[in-house]
Amino acid sequence: MLSLLIVLPLLGAIAIGFWPSKLSGESARLGALGLSTALLVLTAVIFSQFDLSAAGLQMSEYLPWIKTLGLNYALGIDGLSLPLIALTNFLVLIVVYSGDDGVPTTSPRLFYSLTFLVSAGITGALLAQNLLLFLIFYELELIPFYLLILIWGGKNREGAAMKFLIYTAVSGFLILAGFLALTWLSGAPSFDYAAISTAGLSTRTQLILLTLLLVGFGIKIPLVPLHSWLPDAYVEAATPVAILLGGALAKLGTYGLVRFCLGLFPQTWPIVAPGLAILATVGVLYGAMAAIAQKDIKRMVAYSSIGHMSYVLLGIAAHTSLAMVGAIGQMVSHGLILALLFYLIGVIEVKVGTRELDELNGLLNPLRGLPTTSSLLVLAGMASAGIPGLVGFISEFLVFQGSYSAFPLPTLLCVVGTGLTAVYFVILLNRTCFGRLDNKTAYYPKVTRTEQIPALVLTALVFFLGIQPTWLVRWSETTSAAIVAAVPQTAPPPIALNQTFMPAPSLKLQG
Amino acid sequence: MVQAPAKPVAKLPLSKHPLADVIHRLEAGGAMIPDTPENLMKVIGMYKAYSIPMDFYWRDLLYLAERVFINPLPFFKYLPTQEYFDLHNHYAGDDADLRIWRGGATAHPELLEFIEKGENGKMPRLLHHLWHDRINMEFSESLAQSMMWHRMSGELEAYLDSPEYIANANRAIVAYLKAHPGYAPLLVLHKLFPQLFLEQCRMSTYLSILGLFWEIMAPVFFEISDRYDEGSIKTIPEAMNFLSQGIFWIAGRPIYHHVYIKGECFEIIPKSKGFMWLYEAAFPYVEAVFYRTAPFRGTKSYNAQANQVPNEQIDFHYGILFADKFPVGTAGIPPTLLHQDMYHFLPSYLKEHFAQNCRGEDDILVQLGIAFQRSMYTVTSAVLQATRGALLYPLDDPNPKHLLENRKFFEAQMDRFIRPQYGIADACRIRSVQLDSYK
Repeated sequence: MLSLLIVLPLLGAIAIGFWPSKLSGESARLGALGLSTALLVLTAVIFSQFDLSAAGLQMSEYLPWIKTLGLNYALGIDGLSLPLIALTNFLVLIVVYSGDDGVPTTSPRLFYSLTFLVSAGITGALLAQNLLLFLIFYELELIPFYLLILIWGGKNREGAAMKFLIYTAVSGFLILAGFLALTWLSGAPSFDYAAISTAGLSTRTQLILLTLLLVGFGIKIPLVPLHSWLPDAYVEAATPVAILLGGALAKLGTYGLVRFCLGLFPQTWPIVAPGLAILATVGVLYGAMAAIAQKDIKRMVAYSSIGHMSYVLLGIAAHTSLAMVGAIGQMVSHGLILALLFYLIGVIEVKVGTRELDELNGLLNPLRGLPTTSSLLVLAGMASAGIPGLVGFISEFLVFQGSYSAFPLPTLLCVVGTGLTAVYFVILLNRTCFGRLDNKTAYYPKVTRTEQIPALVLTALVFFLGIQPTWLVRWSETTSAAIVAAVPQTAPPPIALNQTFMPAPSLKLQG
Repeated sequence: MVQAPAKPVAKLPLSKHPLADVIHRLEAGGAMIPDTPENLMKVIGMYKAYSIPMDFYWRDLLYLAERVFINPLPFFKYLPTQEYFDLHNHYAGDDADLRIWRGGATAHPELLEFIEKGENGKMPRLLHHLWHDRINMEFSESLAQSMMWHRMSGELEAYLDSPEYIANANRAIVAYLKAHPGYAPLLVLHKLFPQLFLEQCRMSTYLSILGLFWEIMAPVFFEISDRYDEGSIKTIPEAMNFLSQGIFWIAGRPIYHHVYIKGECFEIIPKSKGFMWLYEAAFPYVEAVFYRTAPFRGTKSYNAQANQVPNEQIDFHYGILFADKFPVGTAGIPPTLLHQDMYHFLPSYLKEHFAQNCRGEDDILVQLGIAFQRSMYTVTSAVLQATRGALLYPLDDPNPKHLLENRKFFEAQMDRFIRPQYGIADACRIRSVQLDSYK
């Protein structure tokens, strides 16, 4: 069944891209919508069959492929990859839906085809249980993304796409080098995760290998100071592409951190964790400060993404069960909120014709503004700033609660960072949504109901998971506990682990 | 045959005023808005849409002034009796003093139809009222309050403080309270606080003034709309001239305030006082309503501590000429109610025009408000031309000194729009209405 999640989008990409007869944009969109809905339904089926109590891999599929290379077609799913797969497939549906009224009016077939290639790449990487297989999928999405930015991007798309390509290629190269060295040095018979153990390697070797992977995945997330490709790529990319970039692709970086850096180097992780916590703090504060300084609202949200992904890093660095659950939850909530923000900003850009803070004003005007879009933007800003009752709060709170015992000062500074998030969102919302419309310029087209649907669906999820957080975290509790249990604890067990502080009954926290 | 030499026309050098284009247009007999077919369509269409609710406004205003009077619990004040629907307009119908409109003297048929059916279909009037499916009298009351607050009239204003007015008012107040047994104990209150009901009586007088003003304007607008439909009015100056002429025809109409209590008429301001429509109703109305009105209305508010509200009432600039129609159509008056009223009576050509522009039906109240603003700039232009005609010189006067006087008058009027104090220049829409893109 897991293979279907990879094969279906691959086949869909080929079918839409190479359909022999003439295929209109609308037909291509309908086909893409059908396929992405099918993928989401398939994901729902996997959810229904997922065993919450099992820590290990489920629904595994194994097919020997090239034995001499140690490359096997090994797939599996656990509490780490399941939420991210759901997020990816959900965002693909949003992207395909919004493709109609959004940007890609030119070459829609190519757009949908590339989108499904991306979907296959990300899903494959999340499901792969073999290092080389992971890398193949990891690299598979590189070219489609490059083309998506290059073809449908903004004014400076060439530079942004090239920067993205170079950075991500370097990331892939570092990870490849790390994986090869890891397998050879550990003497594993294949690249299967299960076959690899770093227990026999010296701490120094482990640190070198871990550093290679950290930098490789750090570029993808991206972590400060490896982030400089992000603002350009996010800003220049068309709205649907930016949603995929920030919502889904970036999660491969944090997934890699947990799966490979923490998962394969449990002995060495406590050594690098304090440094990563500091890096996370720098990322949170830098992202927030840089966002405050921006005049372009999309760039502002792009910088905010750096800060919010750094919460994930903090949670992973803390390697407590609670923080890990929070980190996985933060990956999902960040994906949802960022997608919502980018979508709304995309609508504003299309309707108003600008993203400049100095030019936008009064969009909440009920008759001549974009009232629903603006209201949802206010809500998305609140979610991003971690207002209770919305999904952003839950995951950030879990991360902070879980990481405070391990890294009190970085955690406190990150809490300050959430305050700064509120600062730049207040700036954004105050200038964009409030104030008065200018009589001379404010003749914006109406936002149609069909254009509002993606934002409304995303908002509904942000709300629902905010008030029912168990639906967000229950999938990853057991897996998180197992991942953390493999790491020797250098700090005393966090106090919070023995307390029931969440209303969610299924939050079984284990130290 | 020898032709008589053409009358020499004096010419002035071009004005250097920031609104020189508008001034030159006024000097040529035009209005403050450009003479384009679209402007004409909007102006006349809005006169039509305004005139039918106005036919209700003036009738109910007189009902309020004459029957409701100082009633402290006027629950049914927006439900005038049939008598007032049947009241003959003095400027329409066969028995008119001066027939301005060729139609009937009683309430307009479209008005009666709307009152019966509303938006939601036929139901008792009280239900229409409670459901707000009705003509919104709140708007016209608010304008009367604004007129009272600014107290722009001349001799009549002084008369409101005269012993004669106070004596007349007190007589009526006492009679009213005695005539209603439930209110009789309020006579004590009236004794203790003699200004209390007196002020209510003055308010009632202003309701009467506004009612008498609109009794004339409604047929003027009916007629102008009919003439446009017939094709006899083809330009903005023609429409404006009709308004100016109308103003002169009826300038001397008496302004009075009568109250009817138990069948007896109390003349609080008798007709014999000779207060004239032009000076006691038309001019004060334009000044108080078009220019000034009051802040803190609608959804827009001002911060007095930040010096956003002028110290002097003359600097108030919250009227229709300054109204920002974008934020839910606000400024000065509760205009969304007026817009809703006018929306019900839009002529089909204007409705189609709005449907094809901006957001069509979704923002029709804003489009309608901006078109209304254009039409009120035209009315103000007519008043300016009428004032110039009454106080100064003809536009084709051969004496350059006279033309210079005319220009000074127009420039002084335009100066009111571009004063930097309190953001008046920014608020004023005169520059916006010059553009077709302002919709």
